[in-house]
Amino acid sequence: MTAGAPLPPEPSKAAFDAQLTRRIFRYLRPYLALVVGAVLLSLAFSGIQPLFGLIQRYAIDHALTPFVTGVTADREPLLRTLTVAALTYMGLKVLEFAVQYGSILTIGYLGQNVLRDIRADVFTKLQRLHLAYFDQNPVGRLITRVTSDVDAINQFLTGGLVSLIQSAFLIVAYAVIMLSVDWRLGLVSFSVLPMMYLASNYFRRHLREAFRNNRFQQAVVNSKLNENITGMTTVQLFGRERRMALDFDHANRALLTANENSVKWFSLFMPVMAVLGQVGIALVLYFAATRLLNQDAAGVAATTGVTVGTLVAFIGWTTNLFQPIQDLADVFNNLQAAMASSERIFEVLDTEEKIQDKPGAATLEPFEGRVTFDGVWFAYDQAVTASTPDTDDRWILRGIDLDIQPGESVALVGATGAGKTSVTALVSRFYDVQRGAVRVDGHDVRDLAQHDLRRHVGVVLQDVFLFAGTIESNLTLNNPAISHERVVEACQYVGVHDYIVSLPEGYQTEVRERGATLSTGQKQLLAFARALIQNPDILLVLDEATANVDTETELRIQQALLRVMKGRTSIIIAHRLSTIEHCDRIVVMRKGRIVEQGSHRALLEKGGYYARLHRLQYAQGNAAD
Amino acid sequence: MDSLRTLWPYLRLHRRQYLIGLVAVVIANSLNLLPWYFIRLTIDGVTGQTDADPATAGITGAQVLLYALGIVAASATAGFFMLVMRRMIVIASRQTEYEVRRDIFSHLQTLDKPYYDRARTGDIMNRLTGDLGAVREMLGFGAWQIVNIVSGFATAFAVMFSLSWQLTLIVMALLPLIVGLLTYMARQINKRHTAVQEQNSLIAAKAQENFSGARVVKGYAIEDREIEDYRAMNLELLRRNIALIKVDGPLRSVMNLLLGLAFGVILLVGGRLILNGDGTFTVGMFTQFVGTLERLAFPMLMVGWITGITQRGLSSWRRLRELFEARPLVRDERGRVNPNIQTLRGDVEFDHVTLRYGERTVLEDVSLRVPAGTFLGVTGPTGSGKTVLGQLLTRSMDPTSGVVRVDGHDVRTIPLRTLRDHISVVPQEPFLFSDSIANNIGFGMGNRDLPEVPTGVSVVGAPPPPDIPPNPDMERVREAARLAGLAGDVEDFPQGYDTVLGERGVTLSGGQRQRTAIARAIVRDPAILVLDDSLSAVDTETERRILDGLREVARGRTVILIGHRISTLRHADQIVVLDGGRLVEQGTHDDLVAAGGHYAELERLQRLASDLDADDEPIRDAEVAADALEHQPIPQEAVK
Repeated sequence: MTAGAPLPPEPSKAAFDAQLTRRIFRYLRPYLALVVGAVLLSLAFSGIQPLFGLIQRYAIDHALTPFVTGVTADREPLLRTLTVAALTYMGLKVLEFAVQYGSILTIGYLGQNVLRDIRADVFTKLQRLHLAYFDQNPVGRLITRVTSDVDAINQFLTGGLVSLIQSAFLIVAYAVIMLSVDWRLGLVSFSVLPMMYLASNYFRRHLREAFRNNRFQQAVVNSKLNENITGMTTVQLFGRERRMALDFDHANRALLTANENSVKWFSLFMPVMAVLGQVGIALVLYFAATRLLNQDAAGVAATTGVTVGTLVAFIGWTTNLFQPIQDLADVFNNLQAAMASSERIFEVLDTEEKIQDKPGAATLEPFEGRVTFDGVWFAYDQAVTASTPDTDDRWILRGIDLDIQPGESVALVGATGAGKTSVTALVSRFYDVQRGAVRVDGHDVRDLAQHDLRRHVGVVLQDVFLFAGTIESNLTLNNPAISHERVVEACQYVGVHDYIVSLPEGYQTEVRERGATLSTGQKQLLAFARALIQNPDILLVLDEATANVDTETELRIQQALLRVMKGRTSIIIAHRLSTIEHCDRIVVMRKGRIVEQGSHRALLEKGGYYARLHRLQYAQGNAAD
Repeated sequence: MDSLRTLWPYLRLHRRQYLIGLVAVVIANSLNLLPWYFIRLTIDGVTGQTDADPATAGITGAQVLLYALGIVAASATAGFFMLVMRRMIVIASRQTEYEVRRDIFSHLQTLDKPYYDRARTGDIMNRLTGDLGAVREMLGFGAWQIVNIVSGFATAFAVMFSLSWQLTLIVMALLPLIVGLLTYMARQINKRHTAVQEQNSLIAAKAQENFSGARVVKGYAIEDREIEDYRAMNLELLRRNIALIKVDGPLRSVMNLLLGLAFGVILLVGGRLILNGDGTFTVGMFTQFVGTLERLAFPMLMVGWITGITQRGLSSWRRLRELFEARPLVRDERGRVNPNIQTLRGDVEFDHVTLRYGERTVLEDVSLRVPAGTFLGVTGPTGSGKTVLGQLLTRSMDPTSGVVRVDGHDVRTIPLRTLRDHISVVPQEPFLFSDSIANNIGFGMGNRDLPEVPTGVSVVGAPPPPDIPPNPDMERVREAARLAGLAGDVEDFPQGYDTVLGERGVTLSGGQRQRTAIARAIVRDPAILVLDDSLSAVDTETERRILDGLREVARGRTVILIGHRISTLRHADQIVVLDGGRLVEQGTHDDLVAAGGHYAELERLQRLASDLDADDEPIRDAEVAADALEHQPIPQEAVK
């Protein structure tokens, strides 16, 4: 329970991966016009920026200094020059603003569109992936893919690439103009740039490390807080407050130290950069001014050597040059962070879709609803293949043979882990079997179009999964083809209509917090209504005996279930005795095998596993009274 | 303002740091204007403005060198003061953040169960992360920026005014326009940023829902509709982001444009002043004026932000104060508690105890005595108030009326620490910590002599928190694990007793969790042991074994066992049946069976069930029934 846990290692520095970059670039292709526009605009912006120094220089040298130094006393032409310079300056500022705004909008529009495309691609891909993928990957991780990882790519494009291009253009533009105006002064002002780049790079490296440590310590503090708040009663009952407070204080101090450390780096970083910048200005001032003085002494004409205007312009240019240099120092860090994220995103996009439609997969029309299991062996573990020995523990289903007629209702009964749920999952083809075949209307499900198959197969889970939206949209699952009348009819049929219309907005009532406000019974009835409205030919039901339901609701659920089952092939994982009894056939499963099957009566007479089970439950029947 | 007053105790702890830091800001701001002064002197020197003859230079090369060095020296000194400012103010704000977090944590430890029943963990967490961060930003960045703005404006205007009052007036006329526009933009950015955040969380929620509902989405083949939905939300996010970029993107360019236009005007007017020829305004002064004005760009930008930072900080501080102001109902009341009560033998008495939660009556006039060292069995239907008996005993809450006594003392007069040290509770769903098994079992051991974390004091100069002595006495931990029937399981874990539980470690089964909780309870050697349905997730066989172990421990202790299994209840010295908060039956097993009430019926049903060689308990569920049959041989002929 010590707080100073070691920092997790930094993600591998894949530096600059050309292949990944090409893939990201592929997202830019639909917006080629925008890309070209963005490049041209930043080129234009870079071209305009250094001009302001030229105008200042012109104004000082041609409108102000000649008068001040007594070269001319005629103010009229000077004033005219001054006005022209000032107006040009302002006009150019407006143009610069327009270009810059245009460039920001273009880049923003471009970046946001690419983001949207990537997000949509990842989401769409996840819709196509097999169910097992969702079993293996925690939801939190998948959400990170469509949120922060996508944002990191945005950083790559806007923070990385754009600032790389922009900074490069600006540096070139300033360098060209400074060298062409006065190459010696130009070199003087460039002299601090390498220092600046190195210092910036050095500090940012340390800052990044410090920030990473901050985040880590913050996560430690947060998880301790969360645990303590949740388990506070336990802490109090066992008198552990002081130990917990001490333990928390260690973590809290470690966070403070980490924070102080990054403040220390930051407090060095900013002044050092500022001082370096001023050193550059001081150098320019010194060299320009001494040359001016020497020129005066030597009587060199002001037009060919350094002028006051040149001095002022160079001070401005030198200051403006610092920003792109610092940006450049950070570009590669941004790129690196984006690489890791894009790698993860492409990993999702490249995931093999384990369950795919065969080319020309069939759709069944008409659909009868016969379900056949033909020597089915199945394991969730992908490493298990047809040749894995029968004795392997990983087999979940071990040679299931089952033939269910259209319209027949079958109850699956058995202990936890007997394989009941797997049987229903295979009918929907959520997984593929290793041996044997699952057939619907005589066709191997692997030869059918998944979507079409699942449209005919309805699943009723014990805990109805409610989406954000209205009650009605949850029943129709947003299918616009389903009429309101049909929804009402179905709800009346299962007996949940009265409840729904008693809600303030009836069928249009928003479902909150995944139906937290609905009772267990109401949720089950909604699940049945949903199944009825979707009108599947084959119905798979997970029917849990619910402890928190009163007798009346229990009866209502029972009735609704029987009504929904009527006229469809139904496979029910049954928990309630009464449900089981009403099914045409009962299949008793044990450890992946079918041990008994037959009608309720037949199985009772047989006096096997089911008969014993029934006696156990029967005892309960009395206890409930 | 009231919020600021309550913040004062924390600010006071670092007032020296804040004060030094703020003075440093003012000094740095003034020093930062010096380079432009040196530039002006140089320019005016080389243009001959500093002596009588404008045709000759007024300065020497040595002076130029001096000015150049002056620039470096001024900026280095300013840089030093900026460094001091950050190390004072920003670090002080981090320290305040630490202190508030530390104190709230300590305060949270005093709040009682009724508080935690009402509060949501997520809400408390949000306050301790987001809100605390907003307060810190207000204290650190906010305080610095306010002073920076004020002193920045003051020094810059003083300099500008000394250079040219005409130009300064022009700037003053333009200033409200610039600040107004920037403030408006800042507000728009805030608003649009919130809109983007909202849409972002909608999208995340949609993704969360879709991924966790994958079974339904695929089951009903509604992927395409989901993709359509997602597309629409995605498009809306794009729209909102672009709306944000429209105001957020050009913030700097607007600033740049406004300053550029101001420069144009200053060039026009200032140029004329120079050309006046009276020598009161020079090219150097013009350059200094413009340079000084540019230094105002950042403070002007900040004016718009600072109100937002302050407002957020103050309302966040109010939310944090709500945590501080929460008061526990259960606590050691001065004047009532008798600190001399140090040990308890375990004689328990409920004297006409009634407990109400709002409208609901949980216990109604329950009177009951459990002599020290005896075994009480409690049973009754769900919601009959069984669990509450244990909670009243440990003072997780206090009764509405009536008195709970231990050893004849009203529990409210016993120091909480003493009371809880002598009682161990095993709840039905125990909460274990993500720590090693050893530490989880030794949870209640060796906590007595630890120092308290001081609150309300500055962290500056405070000694580092003492090392925490490792708590469990491994001998006792092992023994408790053995008695609780957990030892065998632990030995199978990769790191034995050092195996970490929870997210970062192994996940225990329900039965293992319960047995860990039992070990955790008995290792403390309590005078009173409360077992609240704490064997519901273990099978009958294991339960019997554990109870045999407990019988060893139970000798000389008061045991209160809440449960349904007659096989365990029957050994109790006394059994009570609760129903709807009332005590409806009371007596020994034989008494109650003879009385033919609720208990007798329970006994009859369980006897029937055990005749079927199944579990003692009635089974509501076919799967559970099948699970119970799992370990029994199936007649061969029944297998296909």
